[in-house]
Amino acid sequence: MDEESRVVGIAEMTVAQSPQRLVAFGLGSCVGVTLYDGKTKTGGMAHVMLPSSRLRSGEAPPGKYADTALGILAAEVEKAGARRGNLEAKIVGGANMFSDLPQSAPVPIGLRNVDAVRQKLAELDIPIAGEAVGGNRGRTMVFNLEDGRVEIRILNQPMQYL
Amino acid sequence: MGQEAELFNDFQLDALKEIGNIGAGNAATALSQMVGRRVDMSVTQVQVLKTDGIAAFLGGIEQNVAAVHMPVYGEICGIALVFFPLDRIGELCGMLVGKREDDPFVLSEMGQSAIKEVGSILTGAYLSALFRLMNLQMIHGVPGLVLDMAQAVLDTVLVELEQKEEIAIVIETQFLENDKKLTGSFFLLPETGSLRKLFNAFSKTLGLSGNG
Repeated sequence: MDEESRVVGIAEMTVAQSPQRLVAFGLGSCVGVTLYDGKTKTGGMAHVMLPSSRLRSGEAPPGKYADTALGILAAEVEKAGARRGNLEAKIVGGANMFSDLPQSAPVPIGLRNVDAVRQKLAELDIPIAGEAVGGNRGRTMVFNLEDGRVEIRILNQPMQYL
Repeated sequence: MGQEAELFNDFQLDALKEIGNIGAGNAATALSQMVGRRVDMSVTQVQVLKTDGIAAFLGGIEQNVAAVHMPVYGEICGIALVFFPLDRIGELCGMLVGKREDDPFVLSEMGQSAIKEVGSILTGAYLSALFRLMNLQMIHGVPGLVLDMAQAVLDTVLVELEQKEEIAIVIETQFLENDKKLTGSFFLLPETGSLRKLFNAFSKTLGLSGNG
């Protein structure tokens, strides 16, 4: 980790600008979502845990849920100087890591997270420029605000880029 | 550390250590029977950690592990995990099935089952010890095995429990066969409602035992 890199923890959202990097370590069924405006080199990342805030009990940070996180992140990124019309999204994660067990839900939570993120992005009219989702492996993602590139590390596999 | 100090006091940690010692003794007997050779186990440390401290406990945020995971049902519901460092998995297979495996990503069926079984034995032994000392009745479900980044396993467990942060009881156990040593770490992550029950059980049992 260098000083330009900032970690986005579970249920957190962070806005950044070039030359910073945002990192989400070990996404399992969580989903990392980046928003990026290539013109102003401004963007942000959310580390979403669950699809919907409607089922929540008690207080919870908005960054935890796909339906509440992305609208706030888009607004924050705009506030930092990005143009809404320039924003593009990339989404990473949503794996079903415990796939060898009998599933308690008909659709694994990772995939429901991915669906909820896609749906919210469509609502916000933000196009998806790249995806690395599903499967059964954990992913670490590094978002470089210099060029918007997302680097994906999976254990024992070659590096991927979006 | 110090982080766990706010969560459990010394008496409670001592009780947890006792649970660990009883559990490790029983697990060693069960494991020795399974492999047909004598394997000893001892508790090297017990802790109560917040989930954001688990990766550091295991050796860093990018630590790779073999993780046996099991649902836990009963008076305490939650998830049990047994972590082994990924780079020691070949040796662990050697200890368990008598044949060392070189690449953890192409483990034999036999090797995989053996690792799941060890996770299951360890979990069963610690849950029984919790029952004997704290009178908390629990059983665990079928074990699954993943080889991945520790952080990704924790991420998935937190999503399952729908918590952004959790408290985990950790019992670090050393396996000894002749001169070979291996460490496995048992984690119990109770659901939010169950956590209070667990704390209450500890307070009550220790309170009843008099001077602590």
